[in-house]
Amino acid sequence: MARGARLVTGQPDFSTAPRSGRAPAWDTLTLLLGGLLLALAAAEAWHARGEARRAGERLAGVRRDAEAASARLRALEAGARGEARGLLPAAEARPDQIVASLASALPRDVRLARLSIDYSQGGALEMHVVARNTAGWDLLLETLERARQFREVEPGPETREAEVRSVIRARWAGETP
Amino acid sequence: MALLGTRLYLAFDASGVTAAEMNEGVRGRSPRGFARAPLEPGALTPSPSGRNLLRAEAVKDAARRAVEGLGGRRVTLVLPDGLARIVLVEPPEGADPRDYVRFRLAPSLPWPVAEAIVNTLPAGRGRVVGAAVRRAAVAEYEQAAAAAGLAAERAHLAPLLALEGLLRSGARDEVHVLLGDVAVCLAAFRGAALVGLRNRRRDRSPGEESRLRDEAARAASTAGHGPALPRLVVSGSGSSGLRRALDDLAAGRRLEGPAEWPEAREAAWLGGLVS
Repeated sequence: MARGARLVTGQPDFSTAPRSGRAPAWDTLTLLLGGLLLALAAAEAWHARGEARRAGERLAGVRRDAEAASARLRALEAGARGEARGLLPAAEARPDQIVASLASALPRDVRLARLSIDYSQGGALEMHVVARNTAGWDLLLETLERARQFREVEPGPETREAEVRSVIRARWAGETP
Repeated sequence: MALLGTRLYLAFDASGVTAAEMNEGVRGRSPRGFARAPLEPGALTPSPSGRNLLRAEAVKDAARRAVEGLGGRRVTLVLPDGLARIVLVEPPEGADPRDYVRFRLAPSLPWPVAEAIVNTLPAGRGRVVGAAVRRAAVAEYEQAAAAAGLAAERAHLAPLLALEGLLRSGARDEVHVLLGDVAVCLAAFRGAALVGLRNRRRDRSPGEESRLRDEAARAASTAGHGPALPRLVVSGSGSSGLRRALDDLAAGRRLEGPAEWPEAREAAWLGGLVS
């Protein structure tokens, strides 16, 4: 015989004081109250779930708008730089263009020992140069500062022994298209 | 899980008082504890109109012994077969089933109908099992329980509990013989519906099995089963011996209490509770 009836159903009552005439038992009231609270909690959870979904959708929309605005700002800034100077943006410059520009700026007594280009920093250049004499060094700085292709030219510390060794930092401004 | 708590069922019959603690939950009932305290012959005699508890003190002591160690604040009394008048009827559409059962049973009750407690059990296909008990008889059992320290919340009838289980579990084409200590209920099922019901006093003298078989055949025939006796299923008090005597005739799946308590095997009402 199976253990456990499938459903506890109401049974006929033959007692002399039937249940319907008595106050409901506390445990029944507690069960009903518990069921009511459970239903309320479930409804609240359902409502909160909907709120969270709507808030998530709103946040995603705001993020999309912010990203679009940021991209537009970058494009406008880049365009403004290019329009103001009539030059190509640094990110569009090729290394051979930069090297060629530098080579044309180098005086006869100065050689370029090393060059690094950082595109992530807007075309930041770091030039290790060796000048045979101070006159060549001064001429290089003057030439770079005058050249339209370079801006923010900053000479680094110098060592002056038999020759001048230094690092020059500058930013690639581009070439006239 | 006992989501709805535990309920103590306290059953009386001529041979003893049995108690079963049941877990009740939304998935059904499961037994938690069982105990039986035998009664001396003559201490309790189920009767529809006469006095039932002839030695009330002995019955009270048996009830107290039976519930020792069992829990369950809510108590349902299970009244023995032989106490009620039971009938299977099909009330007219729109009629209150209880009123109709009262109307049908009133002429045959051996006590004034005003003293009757009438209730019904839905039996499917528009039929109900109706039962009437005398208020004074029920009060005797309630007083015995109260004297044993138990506040009975409800009262049920052992044969109706067994029938409930059979109806719930969908008994097929079978005649169920539900045995109490002093009375027997024969329930004929066809197509999972209760189609015939007889209730009478038991005659436990030799040859009971053949008398029951004949009675079952008549019950089946009246219920429209035809000449061949459908499967006979015997449950309840003394059913083991009767099944042996009936041999393979009584081979059906029967109502039994939980197997871990051997004394519960012949409690058909308990089988009905957990089926």
